[in-house]
Amino acid sequence: MNSPWPLLITLTYVAIAMVIGLRARGARANRADMNSLEEWGVAGRSMGPITLYLLIAAGSVSAYTFMGAPGWAYSKGVAVFYVAIYLAYLALVAWYFGPKVWAFGEKFGHVTQASAIADRYQSPALGALAALVMAIGSVAYAVLQTIGSAYILFVMSGGLIPIWLGVVLVLGCIAVYLYASGQRAIGRTNAFQGVLMLIVAWAVGLWAVHSATGGLSFAGVFERIQADHSEFLTLPGAGWDMSFSFWTTSIIVSMFSFMPPVWTQWMSASSARTIRRSATWLPTYYIVILPMVVVGFIGIFSLPELARADTVVLEYAMQHLPVVLVGLLGAGTLAASMSSSEPFIHSVSLSLSKDVLQPVLKLSDGVTGKLARLLILPIMFLVVAPLAIAEPGSLVMILLVGLGFASQVLPAFIGMFFWPRASRLGVMAGIVVGFLITVAFTTLWPHPLGVHAGFWGLMLNLPVFVAVSLITPATRAEVVERFFRIAAPRGFTRLG
Amino acid sequence: MRRLIVLPTSRAGWGLLIAFVALVIAGTWPVIGLVNRATLVMGLPLMVVWSYLVIFACVAVMLIGNHIVERDDHE
Repeated sequence: MNSPWPLLITLTYVAIAMVIGLRARGARANRADMNSLEEWGVAGRSMGPITLYLLIAAGSVSAYTFMGAPGWAYSKGVAVFYVAIYLAYLALVAWYFGPKVWAFGEKFGHVTQASAIADRYQSPALGALAALVMAIGSVAYAVLQTIGSAYILFVMSGGLIPIWLGVVLVLGCIAVYLYASGQRAIGRTNAFQGVLMLIVAWAVGLWAVHSATGGLSFAGVFERIQADHSEFLTLPGAGWDMSFSFWTTSIIVSMFSFMPPVWTQWMSASSARTIRRSATWLPTYYIVILPMVVVGFIGIFSLPELARADTVVLEYAMQHLPVVLVGLLGAGTLAASMSSSEPFIHSVSLSLSKDVLQPVLKLSDGVTGKLARLLILPIMFLVVAPLAIAEPGSLVMILLVGLGFASQVLPAFIGMFFWPRASRLGVMAGIVVGFLITVAFTTLWPHPLGVHAGFWGLMLNLPVFVAVSLITPATRAEVVERFFRIAAPRGFTRLG
Repeated sequence: MRRLIVLPTSRAGWGLLIAFVALVIAGTWPVIGLVNRATLVMGLPLMVVWSYLVIFACVAVMLIGNHIVERDDHE
């Protein structure tokens, strides 16, 4: 690719994101404000419904939507739509749990998921354990997104920006506005990135359909797929690896993975009602996936010999689309990866400071707030950057195990929202058993009987959690009552 | 405390819970098996149309939920 336009457009996007991120702290906020966990961590619990809608939407639509999802469509077919369904179910989860989490944060001063766990079970050790292990999955996720960002810069520059430089450039840009404006920067940049992604996805999708079929209807693409490659239109898909059981258990496990950045996003809302309003309309955003996936289907007959499935949109765009759209695609893909990596980096820094270092080093809230801001730098440049540049082969495995663990924390939330008898030891026992099963069924014997490893973990985790909870001491009654006055404002139902 | 659990306390609450469960069932097996056919509806694969029906049904159920929650005035 010889034109300078794609790179110029992509770099213009980076510059705009930086300006928006830096200005997000606002005129009123001063340096002292940003050093507080409330301000830097959860934006002073100030976000309105539109910002929150775009924050959660853009955060959940990663580079996967622009690269991985079309790649899945190209290699497997309609199986890729399990992602759209579980994202909609995550909105149901946000609708029910989000307002309660917001009320916990507002009343008890929580700024992280792990601090809520530590408070409910009166166990800083359990909070620290949750923070540390959630950090593994979060860092792996941020690394994958950073690799995606660097790859886009590499392609858009025609190889002039090597991967290592792309990694440093993207992380440097995020570091500047994340340090300056914290969660407010994530909110504002995600809002911009969310709108950009929606426009780019539909512009690229419709243009690609027009170049492939001569019209703007998706029907031309799918009629051709139906005639020549109908296996792409049903499960288990062209790869024969997306059975009904894997589709179902993947959705359920993903739905119950309460990732820490999402928790922080809920706590950044201006009110409980704001979260419900945003969550209600959140599924509408996932129409962003459709046009990108259609390009993946176009690739099935246009680019049959592609070596890497996840490059299908980029390859098609560079061969068939005008340079301006190629540049916008670069900007959109970069927006997707940056908007997903920055909440994870922010949340790891926030949680390690608040839930691990503060109790261990007995730090004041003021010092912890400053530490959280500074900690993003070593996390980004000593952990994320080297891993992104080295691209270790086991990274996807680390991510899968990390996300598998996220679903194993479910007992902690059952005890927070549904079952007052849940005990600290019951939660710990459930998590440990569930985690070990998930690790074993991810690495040694991947997904036995076509059932997701995390689902196997939950099937053992939950009975162990209940049994151990019933034979070990419950949390102090006044603490449980404090939580359940919010979780169950109208009281309980007695079983049996 | 041992036998206490949080469940809906009103008819509308039970209705919402049933609607949430129905939505999850609609997007998973065995219901997804019923629409697993290589046919096109309005130019799109049946699986895609069904996925977006489930997605927009989620919006509809949450809109009804907002009405119930705000009418009953509990957060």
